[in-house]
Amino acid sequence: MIQLKNVSKVYPPNVIGVKDVSLHIRPGEFVSIVGQSGTGKSTLSKMLFAEERPTTGKIYIGGWDITNISDQDVPLLRRQIGVVFQDFKLLPKKTVHENVAFALEVSGEKYQRIKKVVPQVLKIVNLSAQADRYPYQLSGGEQQRVVIARALVHRPKIFVADEPTGNLDTINTREIIDLLKKINEFGTTVVLVTHNREVVNALKKRVITLDNGQIVSDVETGRYRI
Amino acid sequence: MILLPYRITKFALQNFWRNFWLSVITISMLVLTLLSINILLVFNFVTDQAVNYVEDRVEISVYFYEQTTEEQLAGAVAYLRSLSQVRDVEVVTAQEALDRFIKQHADDEEIMQSIETVEDNPFGPTLVVKAESVQDFDFIIQALENPNYQDLIREKDFSNYEEIISGIRGSTERVQWFGYGLTAIFLLIAILIVFNTVRIGIFIHREEIAIMKLVGASSWFVRAPFLLEGIIYSVFALLIVVAILYPVLLTLEPKFSSYFGSTIPLMDHFYHEGIWIFVSELIALILINTISTGLAMRKYLKV
Repeated sequence: MIQLKNVSKVYPPNVIGVKDVSLHIRPGEFVSIVGQSGTGKSTLSKMLFAEERPTTGKIYIGGWDITNISDQDVPLLRRQIGVVFQDFKLLPKKTVHENVAFALEVSGEKYQRIKKVVPQVLKIVNLSAQADRYPYQLSGGEQQRVVIARALVHRPKIFVADEPTGNLDTINTREIIDLLKKINEFGTTVVLVTHNREVVNALKKRVITLDNGQIVSDVETGRYRI
Repeated sequence: MILLPYRITKFALQNFWRNFWLSVITISMLVLTLLSINILLVFNFVTDQAVNYVEDRVEISVYFYEQTTEEQLAGAVAYLRSLSQVRDVEVVTAQEALDRFIKQHADDEEIMQSIETVEDNPFGPTLVVKAESVQDFDFIIQALENPNYQDLIREKDFSNYEEIISGIRGSTERVQWFGYGLTAIFLLIAILIVFNTVRIGIFIHREEIAIMKLVGASSWFVRAPFLLEGIIYSVFALLIVVAILYPVLLTLEPKFSSYFGSTIPLMDHFYHEGIWIFVSELIALILINTISTGLAMRKYLKV
């Protein structure tokens, strides 16, 4: 499903983000990428949806070589990957419903389908009652659930969550992780980038540990060991 | 097919309405810019009219000897009228010249007494010549050196003709150059204002642009509502400017006319040329808006 072959990312003039990373994530897996701040976790996740391009190496998503993906193809890739960000990245002048619907509107989805799917997804993340609210009227946990709904609405095969609980308290963190587990149970491959020890240890899933931009361990049922 | 334009229009209108104060500020800037340009156009038009008015009043008086016969005078008139540079020739007979002189100096007893002591009419016939343009007076003066008429002419009222003409020419050119210079400066300022207003608007939206790209929007899908918003701003700004200018010009026209002592057809100009001026301004504004939006967004679309 996701394959990285000797991927490196160097920022000018000579700052190493990721160094010679090779990994393979199978369909339906739940993988946590862990490591301290500045070890290249976010760089790695950003390369999966072409926000960053590798300096060397190859990246394949579902067999598609996205290493040198063209600007025209980037939207097509992003419509197939659900992405959750630590800082939410919600459109501030759009309501919860509009934020979720926007992800479908950009891909030319018909209104009848949007009208049907968006309430369903909002129900999954338990935000039906907040559909007409604007992001600033929601708590951090609610905002993150909107982001998850937006990422889910495409029914993506891959779900990338970059520090989704970084700005949340313990209760909201648990809610978000439960949601990610539920998404994974439906067959979606989940890549979770985090440095939250409790979350990783509670998941009991595959853990890839990064240090100085390199993979230092890759354990099937791992724990946070840094 | 209809879905995409509909969504782009919906997002543009949503942006316009939900960023109400940004829209108000942007439109205000565009209104001020357009107003400056249009005030300058009115200024150019009025000075042009005023210069024409002054030029219209420049004329040469050609005084003939009393002995000049009617045939000779008619010949001179026909000769002058045959010149393409001559717009009009007015014939003032000897009697009319005397009547005008008496009327003009009715309050001056000394002059009136002198006139009475001279039994015969001391005035000869006069031709008042108007030229098509100020530049044509040189030619007309030379044409009057024609040997057929040269001896009949007692005096030509060219005393300070050259001074007046060169004065008018000088001020006309100065006013015109001043107008051109001012227009060029205003246009440059206008372009910079619109460009920066658009840039600030896009800068405020930079995070939203990045988010739209990250959730899978194509660059065109992100860009199009902003471009449409620019068109909406331009249309609103122009409508407001027309709504301001119309009553202002309506009020100013009689004031200008009474000041210059001649009709300054501001409203006529507004009705006949206004549509082209405003359409051109709208096209220019949309063009500047589109280019500025495109340039300003380029950086933020690279996500």
